[in-house]
Amino acid sequence: MDFQLNNSYTHQFTITKEVYFHFQMCSNDRNPLHNDEEFARSKGFPQIVMYGNILNTFLSYFIGECLHTKDVIIHSQEIAFKNPVFMNEKLDFEAFVSGVYESVNTIEFKYKFIKPNGKIAAKGLIQIGLLK
Amino acid sequence: MTRAEIIIKLNEIFADIIDEGPVYLSETNTSNDIEGWDSLTNIQLIVDIEKNLNIKFTSDEIFSWKNVGEMIDCILIKK
Repeated sequence: MDFQLNNSYTHQFTITKEVYFHFQMCSNDRNPLHNDEEFARSKGFPQIVMYGNILNTFLSYFIGECLHTKDVIIHSQEIAFKNPVFMNEKLDFEAFVSGVYESVNTIEFKYKFIKPNGKIAAKGLIQIGLLK
Repeated sequence: MTRAEIIIKLNEIFADIIDEGPVYLSETNTSNDIEGWDSLTNIQLIVDIEKNLNIKFTSDEIFSWKNVGEMIDCILIKK
């Protein structure tokens, strides 16, 4: 198995206007927290909050495009949102192999998205299967 | 770890992964007897068993099991 415990990966993601609009069209989620500046401010945020689940699409990119093999399938993924993300913030993504289960061709990653101010935007766990 | 302790642990793990209420395994049970124990669930079960009991199986061992009792036999050898 090519994955070793603690192998690490980094990438940088940004929720651009384009990403935001594409996600909005895809999800059809028009909640004002993500669309209405005034509403977002009334809830204590400086501007509209980006859809947290955009980060899940970045996880899809990580698994689908950033690993050294394309023979992968996502079994499960967990995400905990810690701090809101705003448009055009650059998020540092860090992941490492936290489990290797050769008997069932399964790899587990722990990951986090870090905001420019150093705070964690989200973190979680992804489990993938290696396709034969 | 005794067989009884292992089966209690397995009941917890199965219930957590299968997520359809409490599970009461018997040694003669197979995947056909447990609602929701399919091939994908099986991967999750093995991963969780390996994690929880801090052991590693081989794929040959997994394929050789005919029922829960044989899984427990294998766990006992490793614990």
